[in-house]
Amino acid sequence: MKTEPMTRRYEMVNVRPGYLMIEQENHTFARRSYFAAERTPPLEEYREGTQFWKPQEAAQTFQFDVRDTQNGKVMPFGELVGLLYYGCCGRDSTIYQIGDLAHDQRISLYVAITTEDEKGSAPLPLEKVRVLNALFNERLTSPGKKVLILPDLFGLRREITYQQIAIDFGLTSME
Amino acid sequence: MKIQELAERLELKVATKVFDRDVKGVYISDMVSDVIANAKAGDLLVTAQAHANVIAAANLVDTCAIVITQGKALADDVVRMAEKAEITVFTTPLNRWQMATKLYEAGIR
Repeated sequence: MKTEPMTRRYEMVNVRPGYLMIEQENHTFARRSYFAAERTPPLEEYREGTQFWKPQEAAQTFQFDVRDTQNGKVMPFGELVGLLYYGCCGRDSTIYQIGDLAHDQRISLYVAITTEDEKGSAPLPLEKVRVLNALFNERLTSPGKKVLILPDLFGLRREITYQQIAIDFGLTSME
Repeated sequence: MKIQELAERLELKVATKVFDRDVKGVYISDMVSDVIANAKAGDLLVTAQAHANVIAAANLVDTCAIVITQGKALADDVVRMAEKAEITVFTTPLNRWQMATKLYEAGIR
């Protein structure tokens, strides 16, 4: 039972397994996250100038780039942590209510969550958001089904936990 | 083969409403990031994970249904989320290897 090959403009390339690391500074309690393409999560506390950073959580995930098959151009997505499905948010949240309205039109709403540092979340340029939407929508086969991926216009990163994002937290503790 | 027919042949227990679709292939994984990267639209997702992010990943890649193995039960909010996304979820007491064998025997390759 094989799926018919389809012509798609965008393809996921350079898929790199690794870990999303979330760390906190010991004195200021500033938080930041980054992707570590290592075989085991780097869990050692370390000093950076006058700051001491301590890993708080690690989740298995992957990073990827997207290749435009029309011109061969590769767009990196190193700032992308993962996608947050509206259905994983609280029912009284703005994103859930928008997602619920979109759902009536067979549109599934996701928010692209990016890495963060002391200054806030990394911006995801609109051009990248467009490519991300094209990449995932090209994969769909259900009639009328659409996916809409938005940048984090809602400041959700401050309201949600990383466990709500579609990445693999707690997998190593699975029985 | 449609998922309803497959469910009857493999004696899968229905955990949600059934949204009948063709089964195009199978993807077996317990990592949502792996599902997002590698599963294909129309695949039947076989997994031991029963949390909400599995539904989020399955919906994103447009899997035809999900089979949760080892008899794990779904929380009510996960059932509601799956039904809203029109994703059928089955459960089975079998483990992933046993499920894979039965799927192969049923002609899903």
